[in-house]
Amino acid sequence: MKIRRKNKKYKGIVDSGALSDLAFLLIIFFIVIAVFNVNKGFMLGLPMADSARLVNVEEIIKVYLDENNVLYYKDEKIMLNELEELVRANFIEKPDMTFLLKVHPETQYQEFVNIVERIKKLEIENFSFSMLEM
Amino acid sequence: MEIRKRKKRKPMLPISSMSDIAFLLLIFIMLISLMNYRKEIPIEYSEAENLEVTQADNNIEIWVDEIGNIYYKGAIVNERMIENIIVDAVVINPATRIHIIADKNTKYRNVNKIFEILKLLQHRAVSLVVEEKGT
Repeated sequence: MKIRRKNKKYKGIVDSGALSDLAFLLIIFFIVIAVFNVNKGFMLGLPMADSARLVNVEEIIKVYLDENNVLYYKDEKIMLNELEELVRANFIEKPDMTFLLKVHPETQYQEFVNIVERIKKLEIENFSFSMLEM
Repeated sequence: MEIRKRKKRKPMLPISSMSDIAFLLLIFIMLISLMNYRKEIPIEYSEAENLEVTQADNNIEIWVDEIGNIYYKGAIVNERMIENIIVDAVVINPATRIHIIADKNTKYRNVNKIFEILKLLQHRAVSLVVEEKGT
């Protein structure tokens, strides 16, 4: 029996068509990873050390946040939603109003963030905060 | 004289160089992402709604964990070191943005230390990094 030789000679070709697809998928992956690193939050303006500013006392809303994460306004407990309403009402009446927040050193940071969030939402420009001296 | 007709060439796009371009792009993006790589400290992010993007061209990230340790680039630093880091960065680029990434359960006094340093350096703008609620 005669054995037939294979006549076809395969040329050394590498199919590179799929490589570009693979590379683009990797690019998309890295772009997505890069997007994850974008910081989001709130911008705050800090007062200068030892800086003083004259403010009308009647235009100040002074709130105290204690170590148990309870808010006080004029020595009375106040809920965050009530505070929001109070600030909103005052802001309409007195647009130059200053919101002053005193925070107890033992307060949870999240509670401070909650108040900052509300203040930012209400677009109060004169927002001042400091830690209660013990 | 007989005019010879030219053979019609089939329209072809050379795709062999595409993979080279794609790989160059890939290497470029990998390098960029490595430059932007940040060392995550295991903290519980504080949460809020209506966030704004606070990322700038030049950023310094200061991390505060639950027990009050301060981190910069993955290493624990003290207040003095943080002060020097901020001064050095601001001298090179005054537009450097300081980000505070603090654990939601940490005490306010731990974060206040950084506020006091920034006030002292008269660095007025600070970014509080928080996570979108529900993510």
